[in-house]
Amino acid sequence: MKYKSGLLAGLISLAAVLQAQIINKTPLSERITGYTIRAVLDADAKTVSCTMEAFWVNRSADPVPDIQMHLYMNAFKSSRTTFYRERGGSPGSGELDRGWIDITSFTDGNGNDLLSLMEFISPDDGNTEDRTVFRVILPEPAMPGDTVFIKTGFVTKLPSRIIRTGFSGDFFFVAQWFPKFGVYEPAGMRFAASGGWNCHQFHANSEFYSNHSVYDVEITLPARFITGSGGLLMSETTAGDLKTVIYRAEDIVDFAWTAWPGYSVVNDRWRNVDITLMLPHDRIKQVDRQLTAVKNALGYLDENVGPYPWPHLTFVDPPAIGAGAGGMEYTTFFTSSSSYFVPSFFYLPEMVTVHEFGHAYFMGILASNEFEEPWLDEGVNSYWEQRIMDHFYGKNSGMINHRLFKLSDIAMGRMNYTRFPSRQASSNAEFSWNYPHGTYGIITYSKAATILHTLEGIIGTETMNNVFREYYRKWAFRHPSGRDFINVVSEVVRKEHGLKFGPDMNWFFDQTIYGTGVCDYKISDILNRRITKPEGPADLSDGASASVDTTGPQYTSIARLERVGELKLPVEVLIHFNNGDEIFETWDGKARYRDYEYQGSRKIEWVKIDPEYKNKMDVNLVNNSMTTIPERTPLRRIAGRIASFTLFFLSIMLL
Amino acid sequence: MKIINSLGTGFIRVVKAVKGIIITWFCFYFLVLTFVYPLRKSLDFTFGSSMITERLADGFDFEVFADLGNALPSILSFFSTGFMITFFAGFLLNAFLTAGLFGSVKKDSGRFSAPGFFSAGALNFWPFFLISLLITFGIIFLFIIIVLLPVSITAMAETLPERSIFLVSLVSGIVFLLLIPVILLVADNSRSFKTGHREVPALKSIGKGFSLTSSDFGRSYLMMLILILGQVVPGIAAILFLPAWKPVTGGGVFLLLVVSQLLFFARLFLKTWRYASVTARMDDILLTNTRGMEIQQVNN
Repeated sequence: MKYKSGLLAGLISLAAVLQAQIINKTPLSERITGYTIRAVLDADAKTVSCTMEAFWVNRSADPVPDIQMHLYMNAFKSSRTTFYRERGGSPGSGELDRGWIDITSFTDGNGNDLLSLMEFISPDDGNTEDRTVFRVILPEPAMPGDTVFIKTGFVTKLPSRIIRTGFSGDFFFVAQWFPKFGVYEPAGMRFAASGGWNCHQFHANSEFYSNHSVYDVEITLPARFITGSGGLLMSETTAGDLKTVIYRAEDIVDFAWTAWPGYSVVNDRWRNVDITLMLPHDRIKQVDRQLTAVKNALGYLDENVGPYPWPHLTFVDPPAIGAGAGGMEYTTFFTSSSSYFVPSFFYLPEMVTVHEFGHAYFMGILASNEFEEPWLDEGVNSYWEQRIMDHFYGKNSGMINHRLFKLSDIAMGRMNYTRFPSRQASSNAEFSWNYPHGTYGIITYSKAATILHTLEGIIGTETMNNVFREYYRKWAFRHPSGRDFINVVSEVVRKEHGLKFGPDMNWFFDQTIYGTGVCDYKISDILNRRITKPEGPADLSDGASASVDTTGPQYTSIARLERVGELKLPVEVLIHFNNGDEIFETWDGKARYRDYEYQGSRKIEWVKIDPEYKNKMDVNLVNNSMTTIPERTPLRRIAGRIASFTLFFLSIMLL
Repeated sequence: MKIINSLGTGFIRVVKAVKGIIITWFCFYFLVLTFVYPLRKSLDFTFGSSMITERLADGFDFEVFADLGNALPSILSFFSTGFMITFFAGFLLNAFLTAGLFGSVKKDSGRFSAPGFFSAGALNFWPFFLISLLITFGIIFLFIIIVLLPVSITAMAETLPERSIFLVSLVSGIVFLLLIPVILLVADNSRSFKTGHREVPALKSIGKGFSLTSSDFGRSYLMMLILILGQVVPGIAAILFLPAWKPVTGGGVFLLLVVSQLLFFARLFLKTWRYASVTARMDDILLTNTRGMEIQQVNN
């Protein structure tokens, strides 16, 4: 492309600034896109007026005729947008309620006015009322290696009903607020058949797929506000009633910020990472809980996946009036969720903090496509969240740790999946908006995490960690697909276990991630038949008993196992005999049934499938064991407690 | 001094009526057993020969129950319905047994008579039922007005600091708890009056309960507070010790049952002491009023 020299020089200097190293010594990503934004917050009108200069580099071998960008704030414009059609409800009827983004000017690097060439498109559902994606046909195609510069002015109006973004009174959470480039995917990238823009509309369940970018953002707003963002604060100046803050962020996929006069700001440090926590004054007692949680997550992911590469991290515990902004992730900036009083045995705030921080890795560093493969983002992240919570807050108490009852985070995720009535309505191979019957949350978060715990049970925790270390090494600051992840799994498993699990792990993922079957193995029976006439020599082959007594009564003992579900996974079986012997068997789990038969003087007392509880996908653990001597004491105790509770309840409630 | 006298008289009366308390305990235990025993049997049946019950050794495990699959809703439905039926049956039973207990502690001397206990229960069943029902609705109404409404309104107010919900809950909760002794005084005075005045209708007894409560409010309130605090002790003991006790043998489970029943019996005993003390106090007030009227008549 040819550019007017003055403007071109200015824009090239923009690119130079954005490519410069201020935060890290070397770029972490390719920096295909970059943004310089000057924003002014009108706290009364609830608008942000901006000018933005941005670039996109065509790193593909394709001549690209257009650019495609997000305008996600338009999702809050009416109840007819794709976002509201999917989630139901409306942004509100008042002028102040709705959110929108209005582009006032749009020029290219040559100063050509492209505003008239802007065209809204709806690549996902054809909804003409949805204006969250637009395309501009460039005057000349961007050739391989070309940089497309744009300069635009726009006004963003924030919605009053905060769903991820918006305002409430003086509380502002400003996300999805500027025009952002989609991702141009050349042929072969994420197994794409041909090159093209990957630029999805704003959906109820997904919003992230972007290039790693550099952001220089200058925000002017009333001086009473306390601000925070995903960038590093470069300067803060006050002039009269206004102040201007300048942030710089490098190699992150999205930039969001918040402003509220009611924040308390707490600073801490983990190794070389400066941590900033912003929360309401009322919740100052929860600072330790929040900081401990984020440091736990930092340490665990750093050790088992890869380094957290930025020297800064900001997270927000939004006030009750801004609760709709809670539980969101913007790589170096995320929001937790809490309230004034959360009992110390209930780890919900910690869980949200760990989860949202984890997105710095899964979608932030490993920038998968949340729209097309949400399991790779939310599912993988939930898996790590559950591991972290149960590691630091107790194996059986990662979610609730009360003396009366405990609940592990892994168990909670598993129960969400196994008890979900529509668990077989969809596989994980769906775009985020195509999950039927409200299955998105359970299939994407809970089922995917449970699948990964099961994989960990099969290949071992250390191999699983090595899988993620390799995944990080290979795909950090790139755009991996699900198949890329699976290839890494296969590669690492083959390297560490040889062909024990086959040439690749596709057999596992094809059944679980890409399948809808359930896993259920059961013990159907235990038989101990007395042998009246010897039928052959006693079974000495198992080696479990050093000396087999053949003088007393002899038995044929059989443990009967069945595969009830569709999934075929390796099964471990522990068989216990009345003389204390134990035999550990492995079954490939493929046939519909399997009998284990032994002869000798001993009788089978009990049998357990998956004695170490590795297969989290098994939807029924009750039928995984059977004993000839049922132990009723725990049930008697429960019944006794219910009786006592009922009596005390009656004595309290009755006058 | 008057409080100590009432408590002392009440204690003597309740000791004499201890057989009535044993009858009351047994009736309630039997009632709860009709709910819990079938529940336990259905749990036994549902878990069958599974060894997953091992995981219940350390306490309640959500995951174990969640894996019961289709049996879980049946068990939950059994539990919730059974609990509600037990509560309503308990309400009726309580009206009968409380009438018996009030009848037993009304007498200042004499031995406990089982026929007398049951006869008092039968005679005053309906009035006691009505009084209990009205007072219970009164408590629910007060709870809505004093606690639920202020907390809900505060929670909806966006401009208030978050801690205000906590403060409002705390203050309204304390106010409500301070009102509980007053309500119990009214209930006990009403029932005690009704026991001694069979001809008076139940609603009039409630009115009398209010007037007796207000006639010597300070002392009666203090006495009721002492008695309620005494009743709380076995409850706290049950909350603190019973959940932490996790017996692993059948004998241990039986011992746990015995201890929990002893604590429940202690609560029943203290509750009956409350009835007896309020009755003794009421007798004092009525006697003083009668003497006052007699002196006035003599003077006239």
